[in-house]
Amino acid sequence: MFYIHQSSCISPQQTFKDADLTVLHGPVEKQLKAIEPTYDAIPPGVLRRMGKAVRMGAGSALPLLQEHGKTDGIIIATANAGKEDCVKFLDQIVQYEEGMLTPLNFVQSTPNAIAGQLGLITKNHGYNITHLHQGLAFENALMDADMRLAEYPDHQYLLGAVDDISVSSYTFEEKEGWHKQEDISNKDLYNADSPGSIAGEAAVMFLVNNIAAGAKAKLVAVDTLHSTDEHIIKERLTFFIQQHLQNNKADLLLSGEDGDNRLAHFYDMAAAVAGNETPIAHYKHMCGAYPTASAFGLWIACEIFKAGALPEHMTGSLLKVSYKNILLYNSYRGYQHSFMLVSVA
Amino acid sequence: MDRIVVTGIGVISAIGNNVAENRHALINRNCGMGKLEMFPSHFSGILPVGEIKISNESLQKKLQVHEPGVTRTSLLALHALQEALQESRLTPAEIAAYDTALISANTVGGMCLTDEMYHDSKKETGSSEYISSYDYGSINRFLQSRFHFSGPINTINTACSSSANAIMYGARLIKSGRVKRAIVGGTDSLAKFTINGFNSLRILSNEICTPFDEGRKGLNLGEGAAFLVLEKESEASSKKIYAALSGYANANDAFHASSLSDDAAGPYKVMKEALEVAGLSPADIGFINAHGTGTENNDLVESIAMKKLFSEIPPFASTKANTGHTLGAAAAIEAVYAILNLSEQEIYPAINFNVPITATGLIPADSYRKAELEHVMSNSFGFGGNCSSLIFSRA
Amino acid sequence: METAALKQQLKKQIVEFLNLISVNPDDIKDDEPLFGEGLRLDSIDSIELIVLLNREYGIVIEDPKEGRKILTSINTMADYIEKHRTK
Repeated sequence: MFYIHQSSCISPQQTFKDADLTVLHGPVEKQLKAIEPTYDAIPPGVLRRMGKAVRMGAGSALPLLQEHGKTDGIIIATANAGKEDCVKFLDQIVQYEEGMLTPLNFVQSTPNAIAGQLGLITKNHGYNITHLHQGLAFENALMDADMRLAEYPDHQYLLGAVDDISVSSYTFEEKEGWHKQEDISNKDLYNADSPGSIAGEAAVMFLVNNIAAGAKAKLVAVDTLHSTDEHIIKERLTFFIQQHLQNNKADLLLSGEDGDNRLAHFYDMAAAVAGNETPIAHYKHMCGAYPTASAFGLWIACEIFKAGALPEHMTGSLLKVSYKNILLYNSYRGYQHSFMLVSVA
Repeated sequence: MDRIVVTGIGVISAIGNNVAENRHALINRNCGMGKLEMFPSHFSGILPVGEIKISNESLQKKLQVHEPGVTRTSLLALHALQEALQESRLTPAEIAAYDTALISANTVGGMCLTDEMYHDSKKETGSSEYISSYDYGSINRFLQSRFHFSGPINTINTACSSSANAIMYGARLIKSGRVKRAIVGGTDSLAKFTINGFNSLRILSNEICTPFDEGRKGLNLGEGAAFLVLEKESEASSKKIYAALSGYANANDAFHASSLSDDAAGPYKVMKEALEVAGLSPADIGFINAHGTGTENNDLVESIAMKKLFSEIPPFASTKANTGHTLGAAAAIEAVYAILNLSEQEIYPAINFNVPITATGLIPADSYRKAELEHVMSNSFGFGGNCSSLIFSRA
Repeated sequence: METAALKQQLKKQIVEFLNLISVNPDDIKDDEPLFGEGLRLDSIDSIELIVLLNREYGIVIEDPKEGRKILTSINTMADYIEKHRTK
């Protein structure tokens, strides 16, 4: 597919600029909240109007756009961006009984505000799009970037995913039963035999193109499907592995398991398909559960290639590694599934 | 390379519940704007809207939707999608195949239920049957479960140009070989949320909108849905082909969060690039379905862009004067109209137009007529600077 | 309320309402233009300020173009508020 050159990540862990994954930061009030930097790259006149998702998206993307040459377009995935302003505007509608309302919440409630603001700040007139399809928004963004790079082989794109925890998005998920009732440490996420997960958030950005030299990683393939039938998913994952992996074996399975015991059987199936010898690592205890979390998984995969090591909290024991490829499997709420294969460049 | 052709179309809007009714209304200069009646709002009777006069209950009954939590946005989508699928004669097996994509756009999701959403967003109150139906992806999830789609599914939002990008994404999935066919479109229903939102920006008119008129006072919101079935021409040899999708482009105006630049950078760029993708020159375009919202900013900037690109401006009109601005559905509905321009070889007149904009002097198509049309362009521009242009060509 | 106090209150309200994070209310000059140069506000801000005048002072401005004249500077805003406030 294409090569990943630069990456940037604002998450609940120390991932922005100098990443340090050895220390695991835990949840606060049952939420894994992003460690937000001071947003030096965002002009203050613009920052004042940004909701959290736009701020995190712009804050993570701008260093890449400003420091690494020409970018031909902006491809963003988000399922929840804008929800915070959306509900603020709803509050205005109710509070002022459809009277005189301020437009800013409305303008910021549109989920394309991240890509739009990035285009505006960097004067980027190129391709600009926002993919929203829940737990497969990021995978669609990957497919979009892949198609653009096939159509315009010398282009470079900003490709990213942003979702934030807002009071309202948290309340919606809470009412839908997607959060753990008990207040647990993220260290114990995979051992708690209970429904739900810990809410999370992150902004993850990549610069991608067709140039192998100097790349962090190569995205080899991505596939998605909607199903709740484990057998169908198993069949597709098996086919995906046969199609894209020599010896039908991945060096590592990076599992999107999020501690929700209702979804555990999907991840058990993926582990079985990957095979006994394939070690498994996790990442949702770092970023929490949110629709575009697989982007954080891809960022982690790139870090694993770079660092040649996995911190203990990801696998249960510290691993020095020299992986050539990593298979990622993620399920969103049990009805959306994605597979990614990423390899060293 | 095979052309990408349209083998099915479906539409529902304030001027008709299906393709035939919409065409009839366009020919007869019908305007769908009227009083907001389907939900209570302060603005009912104050702001004209393009509302579909079918209640949710009637839609549910007609479409045999019995499951809870299905919003009007989803019902309208289903209505238009069924028509498009029927037209295309796709089998259930083809619809459910791995190589069939479902790509659609919307900008309100389940927020048409503004009051329910307000209550569901608060900790203290319980949750309604719609708790999982507010987000943008919920519409495709509903359609997916109904038709058992198993190929790529995507929901796109680029504000008012959203469904143009859904159409484009589906076409590119076919072109890249990832799928054989793509069902693409958009849907949006009227909502207190958007009525108050656009009103807060002071761009809604309290009169019937008058696109490209010097005296225009703003836009009227509308609702609707439209879907197209796109297939590779080689796969559709036995079918009725309405038109081909030959060009498309997406670019950013990079000027302002909610208005277009004075020099029309974004609108000009997409029209030009869509022509390049189609391998056409400006003179090949026989008709333009303009974005033409009826706001001061859009119509002026779009006129400037057309003047910059075309040495002789082809006949053009904005059908938003008929349907209202249907936001996430607009580009898909207007794509259906552009396809009808080609398949029926006719031009639908611009309505509600009197005096050209002083600065640009452009006069939209004034009467219904038969015309030899080879290529029709359809423009869509949105908040966030998101501009798109599509070109359809004669089958 | 005296004009000077009104102006000071208005500056504070503008900074809060528009979330002008890097601006100290006391640094806004009474005669400096709010739009274009000076605070560099734009069309969305002008609508926000019209809403501010409505919510805080009970002033209704229907035409945004008329609004722009009233919103030229702190001086013009304070002047208009003193003449038209209903609360």
